[in-house]
Amino acid sequence: MPTFLERSAALPHLGLGISTEYGARRSPGALDPRALRREHPGLGGFLEVGVEIERGLDADARAWVADGGPTTYHFLDVNLDEPEDLDPGWLAAVRGTVDELRPAWLCGDAGLWHFGTRDRGQMLLLPPVLVPESVAPMAAGLVALRQATGHEVLPENPPGAFFVGPMHVLELFAAVAEAADTGLLLDCAHLAMFQRSRGLAFDAGFDALPWERVIELHVAGGSERAIEGLPVVDDDHGIEVLPDTWAIFEGALARAGNLRAVVVECERNPLPDVLPLFRRVASAWGVDAR
Amino acid sequence: MSADRSAERSEARSEDRNAERSEARLEPRRVQHALVCMLFDPAYAAMVRGSAKLPELSVRERALLREVDPRALRSDPHRLARAVHALIDEYPVSAAVLGVAKVETFFASEAFRAGIRERKAMALTFGQWLGDRARGVGCLEHAMALLRRPLPAPKGELDCPPRFRGLLVPAGTLAFTSSVRARLGHDPVELLAQRREPWGERAPRKGTEPLLVERREDGSIDLGTASEPLVRLMRFAEGGRRRAEVEAEAIRRGAEPAEAGELIDELIADGLLCAPPTGSS
Repeated sequence: MPTFLERSAALPHLGLGISTEYGARRSPGALDPRALRREHPGLGGFLEVGVEIERGLDADARAWVADGGPTTYHFLDVNLDEPEDLDPGWLAAVRGTVDELRPAWLCGDAGLWHFGTRDRGQMLLLPPVLVPESVAPMAAGLVALRQATGHEVLPENPPGAFFVGPMHVLELFAAVAEAADTGLLLDCAHLAMFQRSRGLAFDAGFDALPWERVIELHVAGGSERAIEGLPVVDDDHGIEVLPDTWAIFEGALARAGNLRAVVVECERNPLPDVLPLFRRVASAWGVDAR
Repeated sequence: MSADRSAERSEARSEDRNAERSEARLEPRRVQHALVCMLFDPAYAAMVRGSAKLPELSVRERALLREVDPRALRSDPHRLARAVHALIDEYPVSAAVLGVAKVETFFASEAFRAGIRERKAMALTFGQWLGDRARGVGCLEHAMALLRRPLPAPKGELDCPPRFRGLLVPAGTLAFTSSVRARLGHDPVELLAQRREPWGERAPRKGTEPLLVERREDGSIDLGTASEPLVRLMRFAEGGRRRAEVEAEAIRRGAEPAEAGELIDELIADGLLCAPPTGSS
């Protein structure tokens, strides 16, 4: 089998895109992805569809696909390190959704999406335990999902108010990517949360990452607050991007030579409000911002 | 040195090595599971930080969790409320009988923690935890929760059809449940969250009411009374039995010995018992 770096040559260049998830546009004033694509084709290059199989695809995602718009499939409901979670029923539904979306690849936060079974009231998202023992089970899940869908599966570093384990999150994801021979999705906002929680510089751990495997980047706004004096960042996908997220993004752009896609996560904000954010991302990446 | 003493020492050394290995183990899943429990239950988080024994965690696993700032565990102030909401959606009358404050204690129970470790559906773990706490109402709503989820394949020569659950609950449970549910209105969660205290009326406690709970083809749940011998027979068959056992049970429940076989055939024809394909076990 060819290596990921060989396989990655076949991955399309999607450019700048936007994320969505089921019902996102029900929020007052939320962004209409199709309107963005119509009015600013350079900014709405593709739609990253957040999929929870139990909910399926909403009308906006289906309409985007019907228009022929490119997509990626962002899973929201699988614990990659639990073999039981890749059960035949779920995998069949994933394959059905993949057939519908025809995504360029699959991706998603490699963390704990639910406790117990995949059931109501049990959804959450916790980062993986940052220890070497986490690598093999997560890599096995990535390989299994790739084989089951026939698509590349890019693990994403999850957000967190805290991280358990001594490893740097980039060190863990580097090891996972090597073990699964896969690419990576680096979420710059999530990484900023990690660096802050550990009191590290924005570029700490950069040397650990195999940058040639980084295929996709995420940029998103976050808001700072304190819990009884403990500073935390809410990954609220707002329009205020933290300075360290920008710094990570710019550092990543300089290193990720195999980059195919950047998602601006701002799905619940009005189009006029998000345009400056898109334009800054486009400008940094050197893509057409019209 | 006697051979006996030497063997004892060797055994003790072996036990020490096993204990050391056990305390050095690190399974990320167990750490995650404990972390989820800590997020829901500050008392459990304090136990992890404390010195009392916790058999579910090794020394290494516990050391990782002890480094978590307790304040960070409170980063999502709505986590418990969302989980309680999910439970009330499926157990509205049980939640009314207990009061929301009592429902919340489920998240501090060993049952909740075991459910996470054993990868179970929270609503079903809650139903088991209820036991007799909400009387027959809890049994009824637990049966409904079971039927809303994927059904097991029937087993044995004869089984209770998985779409049925037979229940023996205190007399008046069905009427009480229906009445309270109606009075909870269209948004039981909001009403019960504001009230927090147990419902004014107590759930029935005496007598026996045989009930059949059925999941229909369209997924809706049907509740109804049935004869006690029938419910007892269906409960007996649950999980799979040999036909001879079910016939013998029917006779114990009052069927004429000469007619027991015919009775079983009729119940199969009526869909109240099922005969799985040969070889199901």
